[in-house]
Amino acid sequence: MAQVTEQPRKWGMVIDLDLCTGCNACVTACAMENNIHYTGEDEVAYGRGLYWMRIQRYWHGEYPNVGPEFTPMLCQQCGEAPCEPVCPTYASVHSNEEQINLQVYNRCIGTRYCANNCPYHARVFNFFDYEIPAPMNAYLNPDVTVRSRGVMEKCTFCVHRLVHARIDADTQGDPSLENEVTTACAQACPTNAIMFGDLTDENSPIRTLFERSERGFQIMEELGTFPSITYLKGGGVYGGRD
Amino acid sequence: MKSKISRRDFLKLSGAGLATAGVLTGCGPTSRYVVRQPYSSMPEFGQTGVSTYYATTCRDCTAGCGIIVRTVEGRAIKAEGNPAHPVSRGKICQRALTAVQGLYNPDRITGPRRQARGGGSVEEIDWDQAVEVVGQALQGNAGSLAFLLGGTPDHLFDLVTELAEALGAPPPVRYSTLQMFEGRSTLIAATEAVYGTPAVPHFDMANSDVVFSFGANLLEEWLSPLAYTRQFRQFRQDAAGRRTGYLVTFEPRQSVTGGSSDLWVPVAPGSEGLVAAAIGRLAAEARGGGVPPAFAGVDVNAAAEASGVPVETLTRLAEMFATARQATALPGGNALGHANGLESAVAILTLNSLSAANPVSIIPVEEEASAPQGSLQAVQELVDRMRSGQVSTLFIHGVNPLFELPSSLGFAEALAQVPQVISFASFPDETALASDYILPDHTGLESFGYQRVQAADRPVLSAMQPVVVPLYNTRATADVLLAATQQAGAGLDYTDEVAFIQSRLRPLLDANDPDGLFRADEMPTFWAQFLQYGGWWTQSPRLEPAEASASGGSAIRPPEPLQSGQLHFIAYPNKLGDGSVANRPWIQETPDPMVTATWNSYLLIHPDTAAGLGVRTNDVVLVRSEHGELETSVYVYPAIRPDTVAMPFGQGHTELGRWAAGRGANPAVLFPPQANGAGDLAFADTRVTLSATGRRRPLALIESLDGVYGEGH
Amino acid sequence: MAAETSYLTGARADLEQSELAEEHLMLDPRPREEMNQMVMEAMTTTTPVYWAWVGGLALIVAVCLFGVWGYMTATGIGITGIRRPVFWGVFIVTFVFWIGISHAGTFVSAILRVFKAEFRRPFTRAAELMTTFGLAGGAMYPLIHLGRVWTFYYMVPYPNARWLWPNMRSPLVWDFLAITTYLLSSTIYLYLPLIPDLAMARDRTTGLRHRIYRLLALGWRGTEAEWHRLRKAINIFAFAIIPVMFSVHTIVSWDFAVGVVAGWHSTIFGPYFIIGAILSGVAAVVTILFVLRSTMRNFKYFIRPEHFDALGKLLLVFSMAWAYFFFNEYLLSWYGGEEAVQRILTLHATGPSAWVWYLMLICNVAIPWLTLWNRRIRRNPLAMFFITLAINVGMYAERYTIIPLTLGHQRMPFDWGIYNPSIFEISIAIGTMAMFCLLYLLASRAIPLIPVWEVQEGQMAHSLKKVGKAHVPSVTELE
Repeated sequence: MAQVTEQPRKWGMVIDLDLCTGCNACVTACAMENNIHYTGEDEVAYGRGLYWMRIQRYWHGEYPNVGPEFTPMLCQQCGEAPCEPVCPTYASVHSNEEQINLQVYNRCIGTRYCANNCPYHARVFNFFDYEIPAPMNAYLNPDVTVRSRGVMEKCTFCVHRLVHARIDADTQGDPSLENEVTTACAQACPTNAIMFGDLTDENSPIRTLFERSERGFQIMEELGTFPSITYLKGGGVYGGRD
Repeated sequence: MKSKISRRDFLKLSGAGLATAGVLTGCGPTSRYVVRQPYSSMPEFGQTGVSTYYATTCRDCTAGCGIIVRTVEGRAIKAEGNPAHPVSRGKICQRALTAVQGLYNPDRITGPRRQARGGGSVEEIDWDQAVEVVGQALQGNAGSLAFLLGGTPDHLFDLVTELAEALGAPPPVRYSTLQMFEGRSTLIAATEAVYGTPAVPHFDMANSDVVFSFGANLLEEWLSPLAYTRQFRQFRQDAAGRRTGYLVTFEPRQSVTGGSSDLWVPVAPGSEGLVAAAIGRLAAEARGGGVPPAFAGVDVNAAAEASGVPVETLTRLAEMFATARQATALPGGNALGHANGLESAVAILTLNSLSAANPVSIIPVEEEASAPQGSLQAVQELVDRMRSGQVSTLFIHGVNPLFELPSSLGFAEALAQVPQVISFASFPDETALASDYILPDHTGLESFGYQRVQAADRPVLSAMQPVVVPLYNTRATADVLLAATQQAGAGLDYTDEVAFIQSRLRPLLDANDPDGLFRADEMPTFWAQFLQYGGWWTQSPRLEPAEASASGGSAIRPPEPLQSGQLHFIAYPNKLGDGSVANRPWIQETPDPMVTATWNSYLLIHPDTAAGLGVRTNDVVLVRSEHGELETSVYVYPAIRPDTVAMPFGQGHTELGRWAAGRGANPAVLFPPQANGAGDLAFADTRVTLSATGRRRPLALIESLDGVYGEGH
Repeated sequence: MAAETSYLTGARADLEQSELAEEHLMLDPRPREEMNQMVMEAMTTTTPVYWAWVGGLALIVAVCLFGVWGYMTATGIGITGIRRPVFWGVFIVTFVFWIGISHAGTFVSAILRVFKAEFRRPFTRAAELMTTFGLAGGAMYPLIHLGRVWTFYYMVPYPNARWLWPNMRSPLVWDFLAITTYLLSSTIYLYLPLIPDLAMARDRTTGLRHRIYRLLALGWRGTEAEWHRLRKAINIFAFAIIPVMFSVHTIVSWDFAVGVVAGWHSTIFGPYFIIGAILSGVAAVVTILFVLRSTMRNFKYFIRPEHFDALGKLLLVFSMAWAYFFFNEYLLSWYGGEEAVQRILTLHATGPSAWVWYLMLICNVAIPWLTLWNRRIRRNPLAMFFITLAINVGMYAERYTIIPLTLGHQRMPFDWGIYNPSIFEISIAIGTMAMFCLLYLLASRAIPLIPVWEVQEGQMAHSLKKVGKAHVPSVTELE
């Protein structure tokens, strides 16, 4: 097997709020890809839905000039992640290869400190062993661990896809294979508002957007978390008519 | 059977545990039948640990999106968009994503059965008996047969049409709640009136710089949500990422589309056509060169008054429309679901002719156009026949009339008059359980088929193929009907479903279209490619610009004013669609985009109206119309007209398994049985009165009411 | 040896000798053997009421603490009321509460010992026991609150084949180490002064008790060399444990202050928590002293209004210090200007759970400030009992405000959440309270709760000197 040794990648995401229609397809896509369990009405009502991704909907304006503001919110895969130092067992660790925050379910003992410390509320907790009645458990994705009760989970940037892509690229000796990888949310997004790519790749289409878009901003930049997600400001009118 | 899935079980499941269950091997590109084979003789594409991807078509609405299902060792894992497919282009919505939760739903009907209506004794039968039952029914008086199908223009519809013709039975009746909410029949009728062709027109939104949507919730539930969302993206930003396009939505309740629009104009329900006509007149005046006859007789002030949109706004918008490079007006949804819906649709469509560049085109497919659309009128006739005892056997497939039809239509009572009801449902829905026989069809991911796509920019015949071996003792309805026909001796000359589908592919093969996605000399190759690509379509768009031929539109009646205490009531489809997917837990758990609610029904109500009624979010209200009443929790929604309340469709099942039954309320009980000029249900003409019940039933919201709306909520 | 004036200096000179003796334990000496017997009697007397309490508390501990904990371990921590974004609730609140309580034991004993505050003598043991048992209760919570308690040992730096070590950057590991250290050292610190008393008990019991005491007394005979070493050891521990005590609660505060959570990330949390801990701990000592005084035989002799008076003054001081830090939190957030923090502080006073905030202020500030100025109230044990109970309720409310109420209103209003404690976690909190009481009840009949030798030592050192017409109490430096 050809071992391609290259510099670590840094995966990143750009979310264009101008294109986001709030349709929530990403939420479902994430759930179906990552074996996220549904929790039922009561648990969702009590804030225990296991959403790795959610769309925040605020309102602006007053009737009739009222409208929603959508912000897809997911783990920002911070460069300086607040969740990492507080975990007593290194269950929340930074990965060298992908430059993302991993959650090691086996190592998690469930102190939930990371979740408190995440300013993005990106982490969700398995409060119970949730049941999937047979035969519905047949659709579970074999690439993604099914989490047990008592552990934290969160968006992984579909790390299983990244790893698959890296292995494919290594075995076939074609690094470009790795560039084609995308996350479930970006894949599903009907408007391509979510864009995923490698920020170390000069040719990556999102790199310019990530670093230099005049609409770009990062959420809670002031906390110094160095998120891997740049949002492009939406709602305004720029360069178009009116 | 329930089982907790531990990690250990999961490993077992993904490993050797499934070996005994058999694996799908017959599903290779050239295969025709699905057979179970042991793991020892696994084909090379079914390698352990390596995914196999199958292209097929989503069946959860009539848009016909191509999907690709990832399978691992004979299990369907996840549905993804088919990147090559001209409708979905690699994208996907919630319904297709959760298709595997439909496939593996533990509440499925596992085999053919005879049952007492409305619960009670259930007797398992075998398929020979089932075919015999169908055969005997077909041998009876052909005139007393009735077929009620869903709205999808698929192979089954073609087969049943052909069968009915051969038998001399009345043609199948179709009904689709989603098409009703889109006003598809109305749209087709209006297209015929304006452009002379009865078809679903294609709107070129991508290249427009101004789009006026009159009730068309194109981002969520309109002709083809994914295709129009993609167009929206091109419309909203140009290739360089600069913002272009100006979207104006005219709708009483701000939909997802309204939320993403640049201007949301809350018009009074039923006045959309008037607004369109007024804009048409003003735009024509602004453009100069004469007012088209359709808009000549419009009284702008009256329209402004009826719709609640100030004349200044109308004028400004009309100027915008007139000066645009290409302006599009989309008729849809709420605007057409009124008694004046057809006239409104004509006015809105005609508005497009004022655009500098013509945004409307039509796909030149004759067959497409001739296919009758499902409408309330046809269902009404069927109900009348049933009620008067003219129907001896009713076949139901792909539709759940007891849930979807307005209860005021009296379908339930009429059904009681039918001696024999045979349902082909895969799930124990309300209608299936009220039938004498359930002869379960495969679910979408287990079956062959094709679907003609109506709302695309080219001719598309989307392919369906099984991605997994059928889970249960189910059988394709087409096969059941063909077997029964042969038994009845009324011979259709097809050996089975696949033979029928291939016979329908034959013209495509023979046409040898140079622009076709693929060409082949004989059927096996064509068939293999058809399945592999997920269908057949032309490589480049094939649209004919639609030329408005109509000279004048008929006058649009303004909506009747509300009586005191009354409110407009608008039901709308959201992720749950027609409610048939309400039994998938993740579609229930996915939050509504605008409301962030999950798992239940809610009534959207303007804050002032709510305050007047003394209710807050989560309070239960009694909603009463002339035709029925229901109770549901209130969600105080800032983006809806004060004289209107709205409620999503799809909840309120009394059956359909553990995740759907007993959840929320079904707005169909409130609908009036009236139809508009094109025979579509005038659902948006529903008027209701509200009364607080004093009870509270908190909704499962993702948002914090405190955080979003401030204290006191 | 130099004669020094002691804390009694302020005593009114015009009091008669008998009045002084009645007032001050140190000036009311009794024969040593009589005193020993008094303590032994208190220790060995049990009534049916006592056993009823023991049985009742044991039942509560078994059901509410271990039963519910077992049920929670079997079903999942979801039976509590925690949710996104409030991932810590009653468990951590109660944890901080117990750690806080456990402070005063050391504070009263070690600091007062170091500063030679003579009034401490009769109740150092009671306070030290409180530390140990409070810690025992509190230390359970880091385990109870885990999602997967059966893997708790991942926090322990044990050698393993995978070279996995705990994350030394995590405050929870600091916590783990600090609490273990504190528990260990405070237990030793409890044990050391207990040795002469255990020997005293050994000499006055028979049978099994005798054998146990003999073992525990480590062959104490009371020689000058033994006393010398004991004093030295106690002295070393008294000095050494003070920084441990400060560090432990500072570290507990770092659990919060290290995070980026708005409202937690504050530099004053260390001293703020320590002051709060001492306030609640001293209050708890007073509460316990009242209970001991009213239930244990002969304890009215040892624990007198003068002790309530002295502790009451301490309480007032610490209540004021606490109020200063409370005010400081607002000052800093105003100066820092972070919007999220200001919103949280506002919401504490106006939000749906504002009553907790007001309860905190009433109990921690209004009640002590309005009452503890008054000497008569301070000297009324029953009044002090209720006041100190109120203070502890207030301190619980403070922790509740800091933890779930702050977590519930973070930077993204869309994701705010209101936390409703479930019956199960309240039950576990009650269970540890019962466990504390139960342990205390059992200890009260197992070890001498009064450090007899310290009292006797004090009484030997104190005397009344006649200066002019007045009797002036004086104390001799013993070492």
